[in-house]
Amino acid sequence: MASVRLRGIQKRYGDNLVIKGIDLDVEDGQFVVFVGPSGCGKSTLLRMIAGLEDISAGTLELGDKPCNDVEPSRRGIAMVFQSYALYPHMTVAENMGFALKLAKVPKTEIAERVQRAAAILQIGHLLERKPKALSGGQRQRVAIGRAIVRKPEVFLFDEPLSNLDAALRAQTRVELAHLHRELGSTMIYVTHDQVEAMTLGQKIVVFNGGHIEQTGTPLELYERPANRFVAGFLGSPRMNFMPAVLAGEEGATAAVRLPDDSIAEVAADVGRARVGAVLTLGIRPEHLRLSQDATSGGGSGGSGGGIGATVALVEYLGDVVLVHLQVAGVDGTLAAKVNPGAAVPAVGARVGLQFDAGHAHLFDEAGQAFAPSRRREAAHAAIQ
Amino acid sequence: MNTKSTLGWTAIGAISAVLLAALWAAPLLWAMSTALRPELETVSSDFHWLPQTWTLDAFHKTLAAGNLLRWLFNSALVSLAVTVVTMAVSLMAAYAFSQLRFRGRGLIFALAMLAFLVPFEALLVPLFRTMNALGLINSYAGIVLPQVVSPVVIYVFKGFFDEIPADFREAATMDGAGPLRVLWSVYLPLSGNIVWAMAIVTFIAAWNNFLWPFIIVTSNDMMTVPLGLTQTYDAFGVRYAQLMAAALLGAAPVALAYIAFQRKVTQGFLAASGLKG
Amino acid sequence: MDQSALSVSATVARASARREGLPALALLSPFLLAFLLFFLVPTVETFWLSLTESSLTRTNAFVGLDNYATLLHDASFWDALGNTFYFALLTVVPLTALGLVMALLVNRFVRAQGWLQGVFFLPFVLPISVMTLIADWMLQPSSGVINHILGGQRPWLADPYWALPAVAIGTVWWTVGFNMLLFLAGLRNIPAEQYEAAALDGARGWTLFRNITWPALRPVTTTCVILQIIASLKVFGQTYILTSGGPFNTTRVTLHYMYETAFTQSDAGYAAAIAMAFVAVVILLSLLQIWVVSWLDRRDA
Repeated sequence: MASVRLRGIQKRYGDNLVIKGIDLDVEDGQFVVFVGPSGCGKSTLLRMIAGLEDISAGTLELGDKPCNDVEPSRRGIAMVFQSYALYPHMTVAENMGFALKLAKVPKTEIAERVQRAAAILQIGHLLERKPKALSGGQRQRVAIGRAIVRKPEVFLFDEPLSNLDAALRAQTRVELAHLHRELGSTMIYVTHDQVEAMTLGQKIVVFNGGHIEQTGTPLELYERPANRFVAGFLGSPRMNFMPAVLAGEEGATAAVRLPDDSIAEVAADVGRARVGAVLTLGIRPEHLRLSQDATSGGGSGGSGGGIGATVALVEYLGDVVLVHLQVAGVDGTLAAKVNPGAAVPAVGARVGLQFDAGHAHLFDEAGQAFAPSRRREAAHAAIQ
Repeated sequence: MNTKSTLGWTAIGAISAVLLAALWAAPLLWAMSTALRPELETVSSDFHWLPQTWTLDAFHKTLAAGNLLRWLFNSALVSLAVTVVTMAVSLMAAYAFSQLRFRGRGLIFALAMLAFLVPFEALLVPLFRTMNALGLINSYAGIVLPQVVSPVVIYVFKGFFDEIPADFREAATMDGAGPLRVLWSVYLPLSGNIVWAMAIVTFIAAWNNFLWPFIIVTSNDMMTVPLGLTQTYDAFGVRYAQLMAAALLGAAPVALAYIAFQRKVTQGFLAASGLKG
Repeated sequence: MDQSALSVSATVARASARREGLPALALLSPFLLAFLLFFLVPTVETFWLSLTESSLTRTNAFVGLDNYATLLHDASFWDALGNTFYFALLTVVPLTALGLVMALLVNRFVRAQGWLQGVFFLPFVLPISVMTLIADWMLQPSSGVINHILGGQRPWLADPYWALPAVAIGTVWWTVGFNMLLFLAGLRNIPAEQYEAAALDGARGWTLFRNITWPALRPVTTTCVILQIIASLKVFGQTYILTSGGPFNTTRVTLHYMYETAFTQSDAGYAAAIAMAFVAVVILLSLLQIWVVSWLDRRDA
């Protein structure tokens, strides 16, 4: 069994508690992504699972066996380092076979396993070369090959794509997904890139400041972020936020007053909040619609032309147009996605912003999301 | 560009360079010239810069009389032993200081570096007494052992190991290598250059070590070359061609080592003095 | 996670100290054993011996600071110390100045660099007795080449006035190569931009040297001078071999005196006291060097 279980994991440097109590389950064969900003602790956690860092408190179980003090090479794991860490003086074949040589595996078997791994990664023709004669992408494959050869229960990846250029990164992402399907092994993957997280992960764990913000499938995290942090972390361009004062509640809908004094409706259950509370409204760029009618009138429900906004900047990306807008009372700009075919307003023009109540998110003063109301569930069901 | 001024300086520089180089090469060249002439010529009142008669007689006589061959063998053995043992001991210690975490690491390292401050010369008497107690007076082990303590070499290696990215050690650890294995399979291959440089420098220093063998060796047969050469006065009386031949033969191994590995030697000495070359 | 934070955390808290303690011990034990036997114990023993009255093979009585008291009034000791400092004086300036000149020349004439550097440095890799044999031969009164060039029959090494200077000159020939290396490294560490800026300002030749090169070389020069002084303090082989400390003890240096006391007079206790005094001076000078260089660094920062 290649499951990974963390209970109450903490990491302390002197008096500094950097990992503040992690509970996590990774199932056999799952591809889990640890994602979060720099310094959030995701790499430290990975290294604790690997055995490169001590665990200050809590238990780590690999395949139902407690592993806190087991040596790294005996945990049944293999790691792909961000810098690949290929031994410069050894050939590719020697690099890949090193762990097996140390484990006193017979030479014939080493050769066979190396060949097989090389075939999977299509680096068979590179086996006699030294790392410095390889390109970045090739080195990365060798690093992965080195892990595959050991037939580990769990693969650990520490930001493996960050040293590759954009095109290669996209291509390798696809290959990694393919590799997972082929090997079926448990994989834990650390990255700060939310695109990698969304595309590769079967389950994503979002870290921030040493604790877990939310765990779930990519879609879950995208559509129902549990807090402002997760909402703003996943999705590019970022979700738009604006302050919204709770004006009232009507059945399954909450009414909030936006900075331009218009009222918008959000399909959220704000039961525990009081009228007058300053909340945050979140709406993703792809859910913002631009209308020519700039009269005040709230975002949803069709009452009026929408929130008044001025176009600050227009970016043409080829497949989509990003319109950055200035709204009175909101810091920074809001972004809206517009299809290239549609009419694009000029810079400086006044437009109205509209959105569906079912697409907006509401967050309380602490940044926690309000649960979506039943109306939104229905709206979602309809869209599905 | 004031070409006249720079040309002037270049001329002065060139002349100085030639003069100084000639001055510095002169003693060895003169020694060679002396060694290649018959004994009588060296003391004749008729002075000549070059030999009137070229002969290898002095070299033959030197190798026959005296114990030069024996001394060369002793020096080779001792220097090699010192080099190999010092390298092994220092590499292991440097790796421990650089890559392993253990209690008292800082303290022990500081203590080891303290040895920089206390000159070897001050410890001659107790060292002699210790060797006497261990029964190692006038033995190869006695000559070799005190020379393997080299804080300089450890310091240089540690500095180098510190610069190697930790990823390699971690990857090797995950592959199942213990510390000794990591040192052998990863750090050592990566340190090839600096290890050679320090090895050659250690070899030269061991070869040239006069003071310690002087104290610990009591019989002619166990002498190393620097020591033996001081005995040649008695062996040859005052025979300058032979003395020069002996000197040149004694100098040959290290001189050749330097000429062959000039860059490494330079690198090694610079590293040992704490500067980067 | 950003890479620097990663490496900091890696060095700060890797596998527990307990787990790495044992292999560390295994790796360190050869060095520690040798260090203990051949450095630590002898150092402590020197200190201990200096407080006793001992022969070379036996320790006799504990005499406290008696040896040191004797040392203070020992004319031979102070003479030897004086000779040592005189030797230092004779060698430090030429060795530093010549080292600098040679480094400048080697740096300037790049095409001849290998040869030039080689000629100047080769003597340094030679054993001491080669230097002394050649020096002795060249300084012979009647058949020596020096007297042939200068004329006369002066027996340099037997002349109380000239013996030490002669040894000093031989030492300069022998060891200047090392100083040249130090200065070369120092020269190469001067950023090219400083020279370029100076060239734009119109400085060249002597002005360039005085305003750019020389100030930048101050730490190296200081290091060089102090290392030279310390090395001169440690002189023994040359004076022992060439002149046996004579004539009339004019070339008997401190270490020679210590050697005689220990091995000829078999007075190990007193010799140890001399050694301790010697160590004290060396340590003081070494610390001075470290302090001055760091002061210079801070001042120029």
